[in-house]
Amino acid sequence: MSYLLPHLHSGWAVDQAILAEEERVVIIRFGHDWDDTCMQMDEVLASVAETIKNFAVIYLVDITEVPDFNTMYELYDPSTVMFFFRNKHIMIDLGTGNNNKINWALKDKQEFIDIVETVYRGARKGRGLVIAPKDYSTKYRY
Amino acid sequence: MVFVLTPDGKTLCLDLNPSTATLRDLKQSIHEKSRIPGPLQRLISSSSPRLLPVGAAAAAADDSLPLCRLGVAPGSTLALHVPLLGGMQAPGVPPTRPRLDFLNSKPPPNYVAGLGRGATGFTTRSDIGPARAAPDLPDRSATTIGGAAAGGAPGAGRGRGKPGEDEEDDEGEDKGYDENQKFDEFEGNDVGLFASAEYDEDDKEADAVWEAIDKRMDSRRKDRREARLKQEIEKYRASNPKITEQFADLKRKLHTMSTQEWDSIPEIGDYSLRNKKKRFESFVPVPDTLLEKARQEQEHVTALDPKSRAAGGTETPWSQTPVTDLTAVGEGRGTVLSLKLDRLSDSVSGLTVVDPKGYLTDLKSMKITSDAEISDIKKARLLLKSVTQTNPKHPPGWIAAARLEEVAGKIQAARQLIQKGCEECPKNEDVWIEACRLSSPDEAKAVIAKGVKSIPTSVKLWMQAAKLEHDELNKSRVLRKGLEHIPDSVRLWKALVELSNEENARILLHRAVESCPLHVELWLALARLETYDNAKKVLNRARERLSKEPAIWITAAKLEEANGNTSMVGKIIERGIRALQREGVVIDRELWMKEAEAAERAGSVTTCQAIIHNTIGIGVEEEDRKRTWVADAEECKKRGSIETARAIYAHALTVFLTKKSIWLKAAQLEKSHGTKESLDALLRKAVTYRPQAEVLWLMGAKEKWLAGDVPAARAILQEAYAAIPNSEEIWLAAFKLEFENHEPERARMLLAKARERGGTERVWMKSAIVEREMGNTEEERRLLDEGLKRFPSFFKLWLMLGQLEERLGHLEQAKEVYESGLKHCSSCIPLWISLAKLEEMTNGLSKARAVLTLARKKNPAKDELWLAAIRAESRHGNKKEADILMAKALQECPTSGILWAASIEMAPRPQRKTKTADAFKKCNNDPHVFVALAKLFWHDRKVDKARTWLNRAVTLKPDVGDFWALYYKFELQHGTEDTQKDVLMRCVAAEPKYGEKWQVISKAVENSHQPTEAILKKVVVALGKEEAENSKQ
Repeated sequence: MSYLLPHLHSGWAVDQAILAEEERVVIIRFGHDWDDTCMQMDEVLASVAETIKNFAVIYLVDITEVPDFNTMYELYDPSTVMFFFRNKHIMIDLGTGNNNKINWALKDKQEFIDIVETVYRGARKGRGLVIAPKDYSTKYRY
Repeated sequence: MVFVLTPDGKTLCLDLNPSTATLRDLKQSIHEKSRIPGPLQRLISSSSPRLLPVGAAAAAADDSLPLCRLGVAPGSTLALHVPLLGGMQAPGVPPTRPRLDFLNSKPPPNYVAGLGRGATGFTTRSDIGPARAAPDLPDRSATTIGGAAAGGAPGAGRGRGKPGEDEEDDEGEDKGYDENQKFDEFEGNDVGLFASAEYDEDDKEADAVWEAIDKRMDSRRKDRREARLKQEIEKYRASNPKITEQFADLKRKLHTMSTQEWDSIPEIGDYSLRNKKKRFESFVPVPDTLLEKARQEQEHVTALDPKSRAAGGTETPWSQTPVTDLTAVGEGRGTVLSLKLDRLSDSVSGLTVVDPKGYLTDLKSMKITSDAEISDIKKARLLLKSVTQTNPKHPPGWIAAARLEEVAGKIQAARQLIQKGCEECPKNEDVWIEACRLSSPDEAKAVIAKGVKSIPTSVKLWMQAAKLEHDELNKSRVLRKGLEHIPDSVRLWKALVELSNEENARILLHRAVESCPLHVELWLALARLETYDNAKKVLNRARERLSKEPAIWITAAKLEEANGNTSMVGKIIERGIRALQREGVVIDRELWMKEAEAAERAGSVTTCQAIIHNTIGIGVEEEDRKRTWVADAEECKKRGSIETARAIYAHALTVFLTKKSIWLKAAQLEKSHGTKESLDALLRKAVTYRPQAEVLWLMGAKEKWLAGDVPAARAILQEAYAAIPNSEEIWLAAFKLEFENHEPERARMLLAKARERGGTERVWMKSAIVEREMGNTEEERRLLDEGLKRFPSFFKLWLMLGQLEERLGHLEQAKEVYESGLKHCSSCIPLWISLAKLEEMTNGLSKARAVLTLARKKNPAKDELWLAAIRAESRHGNKKEADILMAKALQECPTSGILWAASIEMAPRPQRKTKTADAFKKCNNDPHVFVALAKLFWHDRKVDKARTWLNRAVTLKPDVGDFWALYYKFELQHGTEDTQKDVLMRCVAAEPKYGEKWQVISKAVENSHQPTEAILKKVVVALGKEEAENSKQ
């Protein structure tokens, strides 16, 4: 479903996308459109984009086309979702040990909306780190 | 001119020329007039229904066309139409830049992703590689490749320095700090000329060629190079062998070792620095509390319940160690510490806690036992050893070393040391003396003999040698020997002379004065031993030798005096002083006075006088003479040198013949220390030189009288009368002489004569007294009346008259006399008091009170009046009234001792002490208060205190008889016979006159000729009576 979402084709575009938003959370998915993990993730993203458009905006970045952030953001996983607000990287304590990003495919739409909302609320208050409503540590995943 | 019809039905008139003005001008002017913006204006030409081009079309096409071209002629009318756009934005307004245009626009060249927004990465997995520096790395090539085109712009965002900065500096700094740039060995940090060039196929081929060449060259020299490398390594190893290699051969032999050998290898001690440090670790003693607690705890564990122990069974000794009282141990340690601190504290505080005298004896008696002292001695021994070794010719070092050994108790070592010292420094007498001291008594003589042999000129050694001999003969022999070596030693001579008998001494002294002629003592000693004639000769010789020595002259004078030539004495002293002055010796008056006193003490009075006569005037200013001499005489008198003082006065009187004060002083000196004859002679001389001085005459007469020679006294007074014919004093003295010697007739005659010569009131009074004595009341009254006529303001006459009347029982007359007396002298207190007493006697207290009040009003602040009033009140039992009066009296005369004394006596017993304290505060030097206090002590049986206070009172006011009487009474009660006698004597000497009770007794007619002693006893009896009455009340 990646075709429903806007793509960013250069590092500059990514930066502009992050800088341009004043009032909304910027969600960026790094990965490849053809990757199945990404596909699963994009399914969710595309379906919630309309729902959360008042407080969040979603972009997709192909990390092969735009490798500028690969080392910077440690983009080694098949799919990586990161949150920015007013040019600030917002971290989420998901219980996975990596608070920087969601590096797996989140399949539940409502969970994603909850996370985005939590990020938005926390970011509005000036928080750099928010705590996800659900714990995604491995013991719950398996 | 163009007209426009607006939508609101108005017509605008625009001043435009259609041929020149454009459509834009038109719209502008419409906008100005109607406030409708240009883009919204739709203009329709009314002449031809044609819409003028508007908005985007106009902007594109013909906004700048003149209006005429659009069919607008001058004067034509245009209709303005405003389209209704339904709230939508005007389509003609240009849209803002779309927010998402970055999705399609191209990024700027050389853009580094993330930099534009200052993004920072994160590192969660360091195993994968650096994350943070990431944005810089990938675009390095991009920067260099496009660098030329960018023209210094690249990296501005990375903080490589601001672009405005100095370029050259910038470059240098950049190269220094940019760690991302590759440092090349040949080119340095320079990027290289072709660094920006692209790497193409040609380059690849060239590289391959170069690589092949390198390989070839490498393989060609490989063997030789490797061989050389190996050689070098071996050489290096040979010069710096490893420890394992060094001991390799030994190590190889280890396999031959047996197990026993292996075991017998000693354990290596830990000599590391860390463990060495531990030795200096300080240990803090465990506090007693902790020990005690530990003991208690242990006790708790091991001790058994006393009940169970009593039951028996477990009889194990529950405590092996004796239980020590740890607190007691702690306290003991504390006292030891405090003792040590005390000993230390004098060095700390500077104030010594050791008394310096006892310290030395302590040192002597101290036995050296402690380790510390021994170590001190060792140290000192070492030091002194080094001293004696480095400087063997230094005698104090040897002495100190020997003394140290002596202190340490090694007398043998000390002797050896000092002997060595003697050998090293044989010319030092101290060493010899020390050696003599240290050696045993038998050897001492030998030592000192050696000593005098090595230093035959040392007086000290000879004296020491003489001291070592026991019998006098040997001593003198030693001294003689010494004198052979040192003939001019006075000390030796003296010692020798002291030892020998008189005859020998004389001979010795003859020799001595020859060998040491400059020593006075020897000369004088010789003179003393010689006969008169020889002594004279000796002194003459001595004088020749020692012309500046006053002692010789004085001795000569003494010699003359001792041999009876008193006339020579003065001459000798005079000559001596002249000679000394000639020699330039300063004559010190004080010194000579001392000599005079010494001569007096030696019994040579004439010499003393001569010395004073000759020296007293030396060095005294003309105007100071009298004062200085009197002071000198007083000093001498105080020191007991009466003759000297007498001589000084005698000399003073030769100079100041007419000075009464010196005569008086001299007379006093004679009176106290001289004989009657000398005093008499002096006074005679005095009155011949000072016939006007009454005092001297009277003194002479009194002396005679006291000596019992009344006629002589009479004669002196007659002479005095002749010398000073109108002196009342002499008249009265003569009268007194006669009167006291029971010659009333002669006294009466004298007084009559005196009255005729116009005597003063005193003469009249004395006459009356004589008559009273004789009992001739008529004559007495006549005299008093006559006297009062002449001297109406002399209160004593009034008093006497009043008393006369009282005595005769004429109370009314007496009262009249007193009153008339008070008219003449209202300030006379005794008159007032007498009147009050008379009134009290005749008319009772109320009248007396009135009289006293009047008296107080006329004479305020008179304590006697107050006291009389108080006494009167208390006599009549009005205690309250008396108290009130006393309070008032003390307010008016707060410093009156009598009043305070009375108030103390009036106060009840318990309050007396506080009253006394108050009295002392107000008048702390009043004898009345002293006496009151003494009475208090007397009542409390504090005899010593009472005595001291009474003593104080009588010394302060010796002429108050009451105090004496009280003192005598006290001594009668508590003192011994001696003290009683002493008081009696002192009282007689003081001749008291005043005192309330004293005067009552002494002035009574029947007691008029009684001696002081009798009066004193009478007063004492009266006091006793009074006290008895008081106690009865």
